Amino acid sequence: MTAVIETEGLGKRYRKLWALADCTLSIPAGHVVGLVGPNGAGKTTLINLATGELAPTTGTIEVLGGRPAAGPAQLARVGYLAQDAPVYAGLSVADHLRLGARLNPGWDAALARARVGQLDLNPRQKAGTLSGGQRAQLALTLATAKRPELLILDEPVASLDPLARREFLQDLMETVGEQQVSVVLSSHLISDLERVCDCLIVLVDSRVRVAGPVDELLATHHLLSGPRRDPASLPDGLEVISASHTDVQTTLLVRSSGPVLDPVWAVSEVGLEDLVLAYMKQTAGRGNRHRHLEVQK
Amino acid sequence: MIWLTWRQFRAQAITAIAALAAFAILLAVTESHMSSLYAASGIAGCHGDTCAGLASQFLVHLTSGQTFPLLPGGSNEYVILYFLSVLVILIAPAIIGIFWGAPLIARELETGTCRLAWNQSITRTRWLTVKLVLIGVAAMAVTEAFSLLQTWWAAPIGKAVGLGGSASILTESRFGWFVFPTHGITPLGYAAFGFALGVTAGLLIRRPIPAMAVTLAIFAAVQFVTPLWVRPNLLPSSRTIATIEAAQANAVPTGHSTIAVTATAVPGQPGAWITSSGAVNAAGQQVSTIPAACQPAVPGASGPGGSPALGNCLASHGIRVAVSYQPASNYWPLQWAETGMFLVLALALAWYCFWRLNRRLS
Repeated sequence: MTAVIETEGLGKRYRKLWALADCTLSIPAGHVVGLVGPNGAGKTTLINLATGELAPTTGTIEVLGGRPAAGPAQLARVGYLAQDAPVYAGLSVADHLRLGARLNPGWDAALARARVGQLDLNPRQKAGTLSGGQRAQLALTLATAKRPELLILDEPVASLDPLARREFLQDLMETVGEQQVSVVLSSHLISDLERVCDCLIVLVDSRVRVAGPVDELLATHHLLSGPRRDPASLPDGLEVISASHTDVQTTLLVRSSGPVLDPVWAVSEVGLEDLVLAYMKQTAGRGNRHRHLEVQK
Repeated sequence: MIWLTWRQFRAQAITAIAALAAFAILLAVTESHMSSLYAASGIAGCHGDTCAGLASQFLVHLTSGQTFPLLPGGSNEYVILYFLSVLVILIAPAIIGIFWGAPLIARELETGTCRLAWNQSITRTRWLTVKLVLIGVAAMAVTEAFSLLQTWWAAPIGKAVGLGGSASILTESRFGWFVFPTHGITPLGYAAFGFALGVTAGLLIRRPIPAMAVTLAIFAAVQFVTPLWVRPNLLPSSRTIATIEAAQANAVPTGHSTIAVTATAVPGQPGAWITSSGAVNAAGQQVSTIPAACQPAVPGASGPGGSPALGNCLASHGIRVAVSYQPASNYWPLQWAETGMFLVLALALAWYCFWRLNRRLS
């Protein structure tokens, strides 16, 4: 099984500040992977490293087995939708399709035309006058019609209103279903990713905090509530992600490979959003630094 | 990529062609009057000493009165047109650097569209190569076209000045500050340099407007520095010592007892470009003090005096003029040297842009 993105000790430093540190990841092909984390956590840095816009300070990164942006062939295999979906304001929708056709040997003109027709975009309209949602759709059209093996989207819906957001994600899922393309998309909102992703990487403070398939994450995390007690007295095999206490009660979010059998605790399932938020709240330096995302296909 | 470059460059290209067309029409309309005056002046068939007189006569004719009563205050159209047209060629490379060069990368960086462009199946090197080559060649072609049009139009003036004629402000020889960098092949070098300078400034500053300002400032400085300190040293200059009379030198007091002597001609070297000149004594050593006997000849001092009188007095005390000059035959070698220098600078800047654009990938 090939990995779409494979990093080893990857780090990027701007002067003294590490935007991304010690990141070891293996993202398998055939998934929709969500990259989630608060603003400034290093999501865009990781994506810029994967698209070759930045060179790593430490470690290595391979995308589809090659160096990012190494040459025309490598570029052709990766579709990229940058943050805020940049398009040429002075060029029309049709010009953008022509641009795509001229610059990509694998350009799927039929797909591009069909998408533009389906989106109800006027080919003669200047891209600068499109709404934010239309612009994102046009940029996605450019990124998908080059027929990439991997599609990378950086905060594709951050600037869209809720309706456009829903439409965009729905459209993205249809495209992914039709084209059998692997997807990595970032967002700081877990609710966006919940609908579309089957794998999740949580980045906090420039580090990978947790990574794995969504159902596996949900199966191994539990919410425990019971009488107040010291989290340190928990049995082995339970890792406390977050703990909150009232005078009489303790609520814990724990990670455990097996079921929690201690009758003191009332065990309940945890939602993805709560799970991710718990990791985001965790203080830096705790938890394992290396998380391998390993998924059986 | 060629298509995209053209699509993004289209508006600027059309503007340039329109400007060129307007320039051509303006010069074509005014050319016939000048060439008929030139034909009537008899310069074409002149011999020896009569030429300078006829040439001056033609220039005076051309620059007096109004042929087309369009300008206010009775200004002469040819004087104004001549300097405007030279000015256009002089500033064209700066305009190109500002409006073609500076935004080329800076606007893509500012709006983020570089991420769109650089993630198509095309490397940044290819992207930049096509842009630099196509627009760079266009920049050189447009500037040279302005220059050739002006050269064709101003040919009678150039010939008359070359024969020693002068009138009004039409006295610049082809080595002149404004004439040399706007004629021959130098516009090619300046255009390439201005464009590359703008592109580099845009890449480094990443925002078009500040990049435009920096481009203008640097280009203006280069245009100022080149004739003063660079051009005279591009080729080794010749030296000669001549009498004050032969060098048609002006002697001007610069202080209580000091003088500056500047030559305006090199004997036996018509059309030479004088890069520096100064007074020397009989032994060939530089002098700057006025001999005591010549003090009364200093204008403003007691008794009758004046520059010619001072010059004669200096000459009678054995003072001559040392002249450094570029002979007229060095015109084309100098043109090649200056053009070559700016082309090399432009290529160096372009190379730096490629290196910088790809550095992050390494």
